[in-house]
Amino acid sequence: MIYLDNAATTMIKPASVARNAAWAVGHLSSPGRGGYTAAMDASEIAFECREKVSKLFSVGDPESIVFTFNATHALNIAIKSLVRRGDKVLISGYEHNAVTRPLHAIGARVIVAASELFEPEMALLAFERRLSEDTALVICNHVSNVFGYILPVERIAAACREKHVPFILDASQSAGALDIDFAKLSADYICMPGHKGLYGPQGTGLLLCARRPEGILQGGTGSNSLSQDMPDMLPDRLEAGTHNMPGIAGLSAGLDYIAKKGLKNILSHERALVAEAADGLVKIEKVRVYKSEYEYCQAGVLSFVVDGVPCETVGEELSARGICVRAGLHCAPLAHKTAGTLPNGTVRMSVSSFNTKRDISALVSAVEEIVRRG
Amino acid sequence: MVYYLLICRSLTYAQRTAKALERVGITAIVTKVPQVISSDGCGYCVKVSAKHISNALVALKNAELYPIKVFVLYADGNYNEVTL
Repeated sequence: MIYLDNAATTMIKPASVARNAAWAVGHLSSPGRGGYTAAMDASEIAFECREKVSKLFSVGDPESIVFTFNATHALNIAIKSLVRRGDKVLISGYEHNAVTRPLHAIGARVIVAASELFEPEMALLAFERRLSEDTALVICNHVSNVFGYILPVERIAAACREKHVPFILDASQSAGALDIDFAKLSADYICMPGHKGLYGPQGTGLLLCARRPEGILQGGTGSNSLSQDMPDMLPDRLEAGTHNMPGIAGLSAGLDYIAKKGLKNILSHERALVAEAADGLVKIEKVRVYKSEYEYCQAGVLSFVVDGVPCETVGEELSARGICVRAGLHCAPLAHKTAGTLPNGTVRMSVSSFNTKRDISALVSAVEEIVRRG
Repeated sequence: MVYYLLICRSLTYAQRTAKALERVGITAIVTKVPQVISSDGCGYCVKVSAKHISNALVALKNAELYPIKVFVLYADGNYNEVTL
Protein backbone atom coordinates (compact mmCIF):
# COMPACT_ATOMS: atom_id res chain seq x y z
CA MET A 1 0.00 0.00 0.00
CA ILE A 2 1.16 3.52 -0.80
CA TYR A 3 -0.40 5.99 1.58
CA LEU A 4 -0.82 9.49 0.16
CA ASP A 5 -3.73 10.75 2.27
CA ASN A 6 -1.75 12.36 5.04
CA ALA A 7 -3.86 15.52 4.96
CA ALA A 8 -6.66 13.36 6.40
CA THR A 9 -4.49 11.62 8.93
CA THR A 10 -0.89 10.44 8.93
CA MET A 11 -1.57 6.73 9.09
CA ILE A 12 2.11 5.78 8.95
CA LYS A 13 3.57 6.96 12.27
CA PRO A 14 6.89 6.63 14.03
CA ALA A 15 6.96 3.20 15.72
CA SER A 16 7.26 4.86 19.12
CA VAL A 17 3.75 6.32 18.76
CA ALA A 18 2.05 2.92 18.72
CA ARG A 19 4.40 1.67 21.44
CA ASN A 20 3.56 4.57 23.75
CA ALA A 21 -0.16 4.31 23.06
CA ALA A 22 -0.19 0.55 23.73
CA TRP A 23 1.83 1.00 26.91
CA ALA A 24 -0.60 3.66 28.11
CA VAL A 25 -3.54 1.27 27.79
CA GLY A 26 -2.15 -1.04 30.43
CA HIS A 27 -0.26 1.39 32.62
CA LEU A 28 -1.91 4.78 32.79
CA SER A 29 -5.00 5.71 34.73
CA SER A 30 -6.70 9.10 34.58
CA PRO A 31 -4.71 12.28 35.26
CA GLY A 32 -6.02 14.41 38.09
CA ARG A 33 -8.15 11.62 39.44
CA GLY A 34 -5.97 10.14 42.13
CA GLY A 35 -2.70 10.21 44.02
CA TYR A 36 -1.71 6.63 43.23
CA THR A 37 1.11 5.80 40.85
CA ALA A 38 -0.87 5.04 37.68
CA ALA A 39 -2.84 8.30 38.02
CA MET A 40 0.24 10.38 38.82
CA ASP A 41 2.12 8.75 35.93
CA ALA A 42 -0.75 9.72 33.63
CA SER A 43 -0.54 13.28 34.97
CA GLU A 44 3.17 13.32 34.29
CA ILE A 45 2.78 12.03 30.71
CA ALA A 46 0.07 14.61 30.01
CA PHE A 47 2.20 17.41 31.43
CA GLU A 48 5.26 16.30 29.47
CA CYS A 49 3.17 16.35 26.31
CA ARG A 50 1.96 19.88 27.11
CA GLU A 51 5.56 20.97 27.64
CA LYS A 52 6.59 19.57 24.26
CA VAL A 53 3.70 21.39 22.59
CA SER A 54 4.65 24.53 24.47
CA LYS A 55 8.21 24.30 23.14
CA LEU A 56 7.23 23.53 19.55
CA PHE A 57 4.74 26.40 19.31
CA SER A 58 6.32 28.89 21.75
CA VAL A 59 3.26 28.89 23.97
CA GLY A 60 5.04 29.82 27.17
CA ASP A 61 2.45 28.58 29.61
CA PRO A 62 1.58 24.85 29.39
CA GLU A 63 -1.76 25.60 31.07
CA SER A 64 -2.87 27.35 27.88
CA ILE A 65 -2.61 24.07 25.99
CA VAL A 66 -5.83 22.09 25.93
CA PHE A 67 -6.18 18.52 24.74
CA THR A 68 -9.09 18.05 22.38
CA PHE A 69 -10.37 15.12 20.33
CA ASN A 70 -9.30 16.66 17.02
CA ALA A 71 -8.97 20.04 15.29
CA THR A 72 -12.73 20.23 14.68
CA HIS A 73 -13.34 19.97 18.42
CA ALA A 74 -10.77 22.71 19.06
CA LEU A 75 -12.29 24.94 16.37
CA ASN A 76 -15.78 24.46 17.80
CA ILE A 77 -14.61 25.58 21.23
CA ALA A 78 -12.75 28.59 19.84
CA ILE A 79 -15.53 29.68 17.49
CA LYS A 80 -18.33 29.19 20.00
CA SER A 81 -16.38 31.20 22.58
CA LEU A 82 -16.17 34.22 20.31
CA VAL A 83 -19.15 34.25 17.97
CA ARG A 84 -22.81 34.98 18.60
CA ARG A 85 -25.74 34.93 16.18
CA GLY A 86 -25.51 37.75 13.65
CA ASP A 87 -21.84 38.50 14.30
CA LYS A 88 -19.73 39.41 11.29
CA VAL A 89 -17.02 36.80 10.81
CA LEU A 90 -14.38 37.12 8.14
CA ILE A 91 -12.87 33.92 6.77
CA SER A 92 -10.55 32.98 3.93
CA GLY A 93 -11.85 31.41 0.77
CA TYR A 94 -10.11 28.17 1.66
CA GLU A 95 -11.78 27.19 4.91
CA HIS A 96 -12.84 23.68 5.82
CA ASN A 97 -16.33 22.69 6.93
CA ALA A 98 -14.87 22.45 10.45
CA VAL A 99 -14.96 26.26 10.34
CA THR A 100 -17.93 27.00 8.11
CA ARG A 101 -20.39 24.56 9.66
CA PRO A 102 -20.07 25.85 13.25
CA LEU A 103 -20.44 29.40 11.91
CA HIS A 104 -23.53 28.36 9.97
CA ALA A 105 -24.99 26.64 13.04
CA ILE A 106 -24.49 29.76 15.16
CA GLY A 107 -26.05 31.98 12.50
CA ALA A 108 -23.00 34.16 12.01
CA ARG A 109 -22.82 36.64 9.17
CA VAL A 110 -19.97 35.08 7.24
CA ILE A 111 -17.92 37.25 4.90
CA VAL A 112 -15.51 35.39 2.66
CA ALA A 113 -12.24 37.13 1.85
CA ALA A 114 -11.95 35.23 -1.41
CA SER A 115 -8.81 35.49 -3.48
CA GLU A 116 -7.06 33.50 -6.17
CA LEU A 117 -5.18 30.34 -5.46
CA PHE A 118 -1.48 30.73 -4.63
CA GLU A 119 -1.73 34.53 -4.50
CA PRO A 120 -0.82 35.45 -0.91
CA GLU A 121 -0.61 39.17 -1.61
CA MET A 122 -4.16 39.09 -2.98
CA ALA A 123 -5.27 37.08 0.06
CA LEU A 124 -3.90 39.72 2.40
CA LEU A 125 -5.55 42.46 0.41
CA ALA A 126 -8.87 40.59 0.45
CA PHE A 127 -8.75 40.45 4.24
CA GLU A 128 -7.61 44.05 4.67
CA ARG A 129 -10.41 45.34 2.44
CA ARG A 130 -13.11 43.55 4.41
CA LEU A 131 -11.71 43.93 7.90
CA SER A 132 -13.48 46.58 9.94
CA GLU A 133 -14.13 47.58 13.52
CA ASP A 134 -17.41 45.65 13.51
CA THR A 135 -15.72 42.36 12.52
CA ALA A 136 -16.25 40.03 15.46
CA LEU A 137 -13.67 37.49 14.39
CA VAL A 138 -11.27 36.46 11.65
CA ILE A 139 -10.57 32.79 10.96
CA CYS A 140 -7.95 31.64 8.53
CA ASN A 141 -6.40 28.31 7.78
CA HIS A 142 -2.66 28.22 7.53
CA VAL A 143 -2.54 25.68 4.72
CA SER A 144 -5.46 24.71 2.50
CA ASN A 145 -6.32 21.06 2.99
CA VAL A 146 -7.25 20.86 -0.70
CA PHE A 147 -4.42 22.69 -2.44
CA GLY A 148 -1.61 22.93 0.12
CA TYR A 149 -1.73 26.70 -0.39
CA ILE A 150 0.05 28.53 2.42
CA LEU A 151 -1.88 31.65 3.37
CA PRO A 152 -0.05 34.71 4.71
CA VAL A 153 -1.41 34.21 8.22
CA GLU A 154 1.27 36.21 10.02
CA ARG A 155 0.29 39.32 8.07
CA ILE A 156 -3.43 38.62 8.35
CA ALA A 157 -2.99 38.23 12.13
CA ALA A 158 -1.10 41.53 12.23
CA ALA A 159 -3.94 43.26 10.37
CA CYS A 160 -6.37 41.84 12.93
CA ARG A 161 -4.24 43.10 15.81
CA GLU A 162 -4.24 46.57 14.32
CA LYS A 163 -8.05 46.60 14.27
CA HIS A 164 -8.36 44.80 17.62
CA VAL A 165 -10.21 41.92 15.97
CA PRO A 166 -9.79 38.42 17.44
CA PHE A 167 -8.03 35.88 15.24
CA ILE A 168 -8.27 32.09 15.10
CA LEU A 169 -5.68 30.10 13.18
CA ASP A 170 -6.63 26.70 11.83
CA ALA A 171 -3.27 24.93 11.76
CA SER A 172 -4.68 21.57 10.72
CA GLN A 173 -2.35 21.15 7.77
CA SER A 174 0.60 23.15 9.00
CA ALA A 175 1.30 21.92 12.53
CA GLY A 176 4.38 19.74 12.34
CA ALA A 177 5.59 21.17 9.04
CA LEU A 178 5.55 24.97 9.22
CA ASP A 179 6.96 27.14 11.95
CA ILE A 180 4.15 28.46 14.17
CA ASP A 181 5.03 30.88 16.94
CA PHE A 182 1.98 31.36 19.15
CA ALA A 183 3.52 34.27 21.03
CA LYS A 184 4.61 36.15 17.91
CA LEU A 185 1.44 35.47 15.98
CA SER A 186 -0.73 36.84 18.80
CA ALA A 187 -3.63 34.65 17.73
CA ASP A 188 -6.48 34.30 20.20
CA TYR A 189 -6.65 30.59 19.49
CA ILE A 190 -4.72 28.12 17.41
CA CYS A 191 -6.47 24.86 16.60
CA MET A 192 -4.81 21.73 15.30
CA PRO A 193 -5.14 17.98 15.12
CA GLY A 194 -2.67 15.76 16.91
CA HIS A 195 -3.07 12.97 14.37
CA LYS A 196 -1.82 14.66 11.20
CA GLY A 197 1.54 16.42 11.04
CA LEU A 198 2.20 15.87 14.73
CA TYR A 199 2.02 12.08 14.17
CA GLY A 200 -0.13 11.36 17.21
CA PRO A 201 -2.92 8.79 17.20
CA GLN A 202 -6.40 9.63 15.93
CA GLY A 203 -8.61 11.12 18.61
CA THR A 204 -6.04 13.76 19.54
CA GLY A 205 -6.14 17.48 18.95
CA LEU A 206 -4.86 20.68 20.53
CA LEU A 207 -6.25 24.08 21.31
CA LEU A 208 -3.76 26.81 22.18
CA CYS A 209 -5.50 29.58 24.10
CA ALA A 210 -4.59 33.21 24.58
CA ARG A 211 -7.86 33.92 26.32
CA ARG A 212 -10.37 32.09 28.50
CA PRO A 213 -12.73 30.12 26.30
CA GLU A 214 -16.23 28.86 26.95
CA GLY A 215 -16.35 25.11 27.22
CA ILE A 216 -18.73 23.08 25.12
CA LEU A 217 -18.56 20.15 27.55
CA GLN A 218 -19.22 20.22 31.25
CA GLY A 219 -18.29 17.47 33.68
CA GLY A 220 -15.69 16.16 36.05
CA THR A 221 -12.22 17.66 35.96
CA GLY A 222 -10.63 16.32 39.13
CA SER A 223 -10.54 19.88 40.49
CA ASN A 224 -12.90 22.18 42.44
CA SER A 225 -15.29 19.24 42.69
CA LEU A 226 -17.62 20.87 45.23
CA SER A 227 -18.59 23.54 42.74
CA GLN A 228 -21.19 22.91 40.04
CA ASP A 229 -19.52 25.49 37.82
CA MET A 230 -16.66 24.46 35.60
CA PRO A 231 -13.30 25.67 36.92
CA ASP A 232 -12.15 29.04 35.61
CA MET A 233 -8.60 27.93 35.02
CA LEU A 234 -7.18 26.21 32.00
CA PRO A 235 -6.76 23.49 30.98
CA ASP A 236 -9.33 22.09 33.44
CA ARG A 237 -12.07 24.37 32.15
CA LEU A 238 -12.03 22.62 28.79
CA GLU A 239 -10.96 19.12 29.70
CA ALA A 240 -14.10 17.64 31.22
CA GLY A 241 -14.18 13.88 31.43
CA THR A 242 -11.49 11.26 31.11
CA HIS A 243 -8.48 12.11 29.01
CA ASN A 244 -7.44 10.11 25.97
CA MET A 245 -4.24 8.93 27.63
CA PRO A 246 -3.23 6.43 24.92
CA GLY A 247 -3.66 9.25 22.43
CA ILE A 248 -1.72 11.75 24.52
CA ALA A 249 1.10 9.28 25.18
CA GLY A 250 1.28 8.55 21.46
CA LEU A 251 1.16 12.25 20.60
CA SER A 252 4.06 12.83 22.95
CA ALA A 253 6.12 10.34 20.92
CA GLY A 254 5.04 12.07 17.70
CA LEU A 255 6.27 15.38 19.08
CA ASP A 256 9.61 13.77 19.94
CA TYR A 257 9.89 12.56 16.36
CA ILE A 258 9.27 16.08 15.01
CA ALA A 259 11.76 17.62 17.42
CA LYS A 260 14.40 15.12 16.30
CA LYS A 261 13.67 15.38 12.60
CA GLY A 262 13.21 19.16 12.54
CA LEU A 263 10.41 21.16 10.94
CA LYS A 264 12.63 22.46 8.15
CA ASN A 265 13.69 18.97 7.13
CA ILE A 266 10.13 17.69 7.20
CA LEU A 267 8.87 20.59 5.10
CA SER A 268 11.66 20.40 2.53
CA HIS A 269 11.16 16.64 2.17
CA GLU A 270 7.43 17.10 1.64
CA ARG A 271 7.95 19.95 -0.80
CA ALA A 272 10.42 17.92 -2.82
CA LEU A 273 7.89 15.10 -3.11
CA VAL A 274 5.10 17.46 -4.12
CA ALA A 275 7.35 19.06 -6.74
CA GLU A 276 8.27 15.65 -8.11
CA ALA A 277 4.62 14.59 -8.24
CA ALA A 278 3.65 17.81 -9.99
CA ASP A 279 6.48 17.46 -12.51
CA GLY A 280 5.42 13.92 -13.31
CA LEU A 281 1.67 14.49 -13.41
CA VAL A 282 1.78 17.64 -15.50
CA LYS A 283 3.45 15.71 -18.34
CA ILE A 284 0.47 13.38 -18.59
CA GLU A 285 -2.09 14.31 -21.20
CA LYS A 286 -5.43 15.50 -19.78
CA VAL A 287 -4.01 15.98 -16.28
CA ARG A 288 -4.24 19.42 -14.72
CA VAL A 289 -2.15 20.04 -11.64
CA TYR A 290 -2.69 22.74 -9.00
CA LYS A 291 0.90 23.64 -8.22
CA SER A 292 2.22 27.01 -7.18
CA GLU A 293 5.15 28.31 -9.17
CA TYR A 294 6.59 29.57 -5.89
CA GLU A 295 7.78 26.98 -3.39
CA TYR A 296 6.97 29.18 -0.39
CA CYS A 297 3.27 29.14 -1.34
CA GLN A 298 2.68 25.41 -1.03
CA ALA A 299 3.15 22.70 1.57
CA GLY A 300 2.79 18.91 1.28
CA VAL A 301 -0.58 18.76 -0.47
CA LEU A 302 -1.20 18.60 -4.21
CA SER A 303 -4.50 18.51 -6.08
CA PHE A 304 -5.01 17.40 -9.66
CA VAL A 305 -7.80 16.50 -12.03
CA VAL A 306 -7.96 14.26 -15.07
CA ASP A 307 -10.12 15.84 -17.74
CA GLY A 308 -12.95 13.53 -18.73
CA VAL A 309 -12.49 11.17 -15.77
CA PRO A 310 -14.46 11.88 -12.59
CA CYS A 311 -12.27 12.44 -9.54
CA GLU A 312 -13.96 9.63 -7.64
CA THR A 313 -13.16 7.24 -10.50
CA VAL A 314 -9.50 8.27 -10.41
CA GLY A 315 -9.51 7.72 -6.65
CA GLU A 316 -11.07 4.28 -7.03
CA GLU A 317 -8.66 3.30 -9.79
CA LEU A 318 -5.72 4.37 -7.67
CA SER A 319 -7.14 2.49 -4.70
CA ALA A 320 -7.38 -0.65 -6.86
CA ARG A 321 -3.64 -0.24 -7.46
CA GLY A 322 -2.93 0.11 -3.74
CA ILE A 323 -2.52 3.88 -3.75
CA CYS A 324 -4.49 5.83 -1.15
CA VAL A 325 -5.52 9.36 -2.13
CA ARG A 326 -8.65 11.36 -1.51
CA ALA A 327 -11.02 12.44 -4.25
CA GLY A 328 -13.93 14.88 -4.24
CA LEU A 329 -14.48 17.96 -2.13
CA HIS A 330 -12.35 17.07 0.91
CA CYS A 331 -14.95 18.61 3.27
CA ALA A 332 -13.99 22.01 1.89
CA PRO A 333 -16.56 23.08 -0.72
CA LEU A 334 -15.65 26.72 -0.10
CA ALA A 335 -12.06 26.08 -1.20
CA HIS A 336 -13.30 24.47 -4.40
CA LYS A 337 -15.71 27.33 -5.00
CA THR A 338 -12.88 29.83 -4.57
CA ALA A 339 -10.49 27.91 -6.81
CA GLY A 340 -13.13 27.10 -9.41
CA THR A 341 -13.05 23.33 -8.94
CA LEU A 342 -16.71 22.89 -8.01
CA PRO A 343 -18.75 20.74 -8.43
CA ASN A 344 -16.40 17.87 -9.23
CA GLY A 345 -13.58 18.66 -6.83
CA THR A 346 -10.10 17.29 -7.25
CA VAL A 347 -7.94 14.28 -6.57
CA ARG A 348 -5.68 15.09 -3.66
CA MET A 349 -2.38 13.53 -2.78
CA SER A 350 -0.77 14.57 0.47
CA VAL A 351 2.59 13.45 1.76
CA SER A 352 4.26 13.01 5.11
CA SER A 353 7.75 12.51 6.37
CA PHE A 354 7.38 8.79 5.67
CA ASN A 355 6.69 9.02 1.93
CA THR A 356 9.44 8.41 -0.59
CA LYS A 357 10.21 9.23 -4.21
CA ARG A 358 9.23 5.67 -5.01
CA ASP A 359 5.69 6.40 -3.76
CA ILE A 360 5.50 9.39 -6.07
CA SER A 361 6.78 7.42 -9.07
CA ALA A 362 4.13 4.78 -8.40
CA LEU A 363 1.42 7.44 -8.27
CA VAL A 364 2.54 9.07 -11.51
CA SER A 365 2.77 5.71 -13.30
CA ALA A 366 -0.66 4.70 -12.06
CA VAL A 367 -2.25 7.97 -13.22
CA GLU A 368 -0.56 7.52 -16.60
CA GLU A 369 -2.09 4.08 -16.88
CA ILE A 370 -5.54 5.31 -15.85
CA VAL A 371 -5.43 8.05 -18.48
CA ARG A 372 -4.13 5.66 -21.15
CA ARG A 373 -6.95 3.21 -20.51
CA GLY A 374 -9.47 6.05 -20.48
CA MET B 1 10.27 15.67 59.26
CA VAL B 2 8.35 18.86 58.56
CA TYR B 3 7.03 19.65 55.09
CA TYR B 4 5.23 22.48 53.42
CA LEU B 5 2.30 21.92 51.09
CA LEU B 6 1.88 24.52 48.37
CA ILE B 7 -1.76 24.33 47.29
CA CYS B 8 -2.15 25.00 43.58
CA ARG B 9 -5.13 26.10 41.52
CA SER B 10 -4.88 23.05 39.24
CA LEU B 11 -2.93 19.89 38.65
CA THR B 12 -1.14 21.45 35.69
CA TYR B 13 -0.24 24.47 37.79
CA ALA B 14 1.12 22.15 40.48
CA GLN B 15 3.19 20.39 37.85
CA ARG B 16 4.57 23.69 36.59
CA THR B 17 5.36 24.65 40.17
CA ALA B 18 7.18 21.38 40.83
CA LYS B 19 9.15 21.70 37.59
CA ALA B 20 10.20 25.25 38.48
CA LEU B 21 11.47 24.04 41.86
CA GLU B 22 13.29 21.08 40.37
CA ARG B 23 15.04 23.45 37.98
CA VAL B 24 16.66 25.18 40.97
CA GLY B 25 17.52 21.89 42.63
CA ILE B 26 14.66 21.67 45.12
CA THR B 27 12.92 18.31 45.40
CA ALA B 28 9.21 18.86 44.94
CA ILE B 29 6.49 16.24 44.80
CA VAL B 30 3.08 16.77 43.25
CA THR B 31 0.45 15.13 45.40
CA LYS B 32 -3.28 15.29 46.13
CA VAL B 33 -4.39 17.84 48.70
CA PRO B 34 -5.19 15.96 51.93
CA GLN B 35 -8.94 15.97 52.52
CA VAL B 36 -8.69 17.65 55.92
CA ILE B 37 -7.29 20.83 54.38
CA SER B 38 -9.11 20.68 51.06
CA SER B 39 -11.69 23.43 50.86
CA ASP B 40 -13.16 22.77 47.41
CA GLY B 41 -13.12 19.04 46.89
CA CYS B 42 -10.32 17.71 44.71
CA GLY B 43 -7.04 19.49 44.30
CA TYR B 44 -3.31 19.13 44.00
CA CYS B 45 -0.39 20.57 45.87
CA VAL B 46 3.39 20.51 45.84
CA LYS B 47 5.18 19.04 48.83
CA VAL B 48 8.50 20.62 49.78
CA SER B 49 10.79 19.93 52.70
CA ALA B 50 10.77 22.65 55.37
CA LYS B 51 14.49 23.20 54.97
CA HIS B 52 13.92 24.33 51.35
CA ILE B 53 10.78 26.42 51.80
CA SER B 54 12.46 29.84 51.83
CA ASN B 55 14.42 29.15 48.66
CA ALA B 56 11.38 27.52 47.13
CA LEU B 57 9.21 30.59 47.67
CA VAL B 58 11.88 32.85 46.20
CA ALA B 59 12.23 30.58 43.17
CA LEU B 60 8.47 30.53 42.66
CA LYS B 61 8.23 34.29 42.94
CA ASN B 62 10.94 34.57 40.27
CA ALA B 63 9.01 32.17 38.07
CA GLU B 64 5.78 34.10 38.74
CA LEU B 65 4.10 31.02 40.15
CA TYR B 66 1.95 31.58 43.18
CA PRO B 67 0.33 28.91 45.39
CA ILE B 68 -3.18 29.77 46.50
CA LYS B 69 -2.47 28.59 50.05
CA VAL B 70 0.47 27.19 51.99
CA PHE B 71 0.20 24.65 54.80
CA VAL B 72 2.85 23.32 57.09
CA LEU B 73 2.67 19.58 57.69
CA TYR B 74 4.16 18.65 61.05
CA ALA B 75 5.83 15.35 61.88
CA ASP B 76 2.81 14.35 63.97
CA GLY B 77 0.53 14.64 60.92
CA ASN B 78 -1.12 17.93 61.88
CA TYR B 79 -1.51 20.83 59.42
CA ASN B 80 -1.47 24.56 59.85
CA GLU B 81 -2.11 27.18 57.26
CA VAL B 82 0.66 29.74 57.08
CA THR B 83 0.41 33.28 55.86
CA LEU B 84 3.17 34.38 53.57
